[in-house]
Amino acid sequence: MKAARLGALISALVLAALVAVLVVSDGESDIGARSPLLGQPAPAVNTTTIDDQTFDLARRKGSWVVLNFFNSTCVPCIAEHPTLVEFARGESTRADGVELYTVVNDDADAAVRDFFAANGGDWPKLRDADGAIAVAFGVAKVPETWIIDPNGFVRLRIIGQLAGGVLESQMTRLREASSS
Amino acid sequence: MNGTPPQHRRRQRAAWVAIIVSALALLLFGTVRDTGPLTQQDRIDSVTKRIACPTCDGESVYVSRASAAESIRAEVARQVGDGVRTDDEIVAYVAERFGGQVLLVPRATGLDALVWILPPLVTAALLGALWLAFRRWRAPSVATTTRRPLLVALALVVVVGVGGGVLVARQSGQRLPLQTLTGGIEDSTASLLAQARLASGTDVASAIELYDRVLATDPDNVEAITYRAWLVMLSARQFDEDLQRQAYGASVAAFGRALELEPSYADALCFLGIVVFRDGGDAESSREFLTRCLAGAPPAEVKGLVESLLVEVEAALD
Repeated sequence: MKAARLGALISALVLAALVAVLVVSDGESDIGARSPLLGQPAPAVNTTTIDDQTFDLARRKGSWVVLNFFNSTCVPCIAEHPTLVEFARGESTRADGVELYTVVNDDADAAVRDFFAANGGDWPKLRDADGAIAVAFGVAKVPETWIIDPNGFVRLRIIGQLAGGVLESQMTRLREASSS
Repeated sequence: MNGTPPQHRRRQRAAWVAIIVSALALLLFGTVRDTGPLTQQDRIDSVTKRIACPTCDGESVYVSRASAAESIRAEVARQVGDGVRTDDEIVAYVAERFGGQVLLVPRATGLDALVWILPPLVTAALLGALWLAFRRWRAPSVATTTRRPLLVALALVVVVGVGGGVLVARQSGQRLPLQTLTGGIEDSTASLLAQARLASGTDVASAIELYDRVLATDPDNVEAITYRAWLVMLSARQFDEDLQRQAYGASVAAFGRALELEPSYADALCFLGIVVFRDGGDAESSREFLTRCLAGAPPAEVKGLVESLLVEVEAALD
């Protein structure tokens, strides 16, 4: 009888502990995904664009930077492209407009050029031939979008296809947070 | 069994103890021994075997041909080639970026540590249970009349199991990036530069000190040279003319040094243009520097400032 009570008590304690873990654990309800890089200085990115211009992320401090990891054959990348074009158009009218960069993931320069020629988007496209940028940011699948603030800190990571208006609303939130 | 002489039983126990101690010593030696130097390719293979491909099920980066695995393999090869990080640090770098789920050898901390602690604990519990069962068979009356042996056995099981598990976890579990003794991300140049930028708006003295720390280890850091000089000049403006003159000379020299190191660095050109006009009164040179700065696509923060100043400079020249 005593053993049965003890067993019940232990089971109840284990169950309570599990419930506590579930309650305390950080849910994934927000738009931003988790990354140890959030709030940390952005990893170094030294590369060239597909037009052979040099690019150093550290030299873009003073601007908000959005990096969009992309592949021209990836369906969600294609689907989110109009959202990015719209976002870039909106930002180009601002004095503190975001600098948008596409990070080409496992794709040929020619394919990327053709894609942008057909679908629009005149922002720079960065080469990541050996995947060093993807590894530095922990990007396993595209599309992924990262926002870096003017001080060079990583502020947001969005995994998967961007829904319309998400980047605009997130930038508004981040700009307000940084000015307060 | 009960008829065995005590001397013989003692000898038997001593033999068992010797066997257990030898086994534990061998196990310990096997876990901590240094296997000696490996070739670079051996190191790359050994590291990639410890990392799971983040986009495939149950494959290591070593065997996988997925794009993400290829990228990680290239990064591991690059870091092994650089020779700066140890194998553990390379694995930790990848885990820091992709999360702990890419570790094929689980960590020795947090919930992951249970993977290491539970098997020894369960083994110790089973051994304890066996020992108790044998005792009962040999002396049923003792086992049923007293609970002390049961409590002692339970305590032993917990101590041996948890202790063994912690030992195994410490020896075999992965280290987290910030558990290294050689300093983590918070001490890196990139982090100091980012902190300095953050501080420059509110606490200029701290920002200058942070740039000094960067320059102590990296005297040719163009960003630190440029922004330190800019902050020094801004601070000097609130003091007397003599000090302002000194700061002007030092700042212009610093911007010149930055441009010598990186001729196209837009920020240095912009600041130089601003300083030579505002503090040196030289509109002609200022126009040249500001024009070159704008041609170099400066960041938004500086661009607005420069565009408005250029209008002022042009007016002064007219």
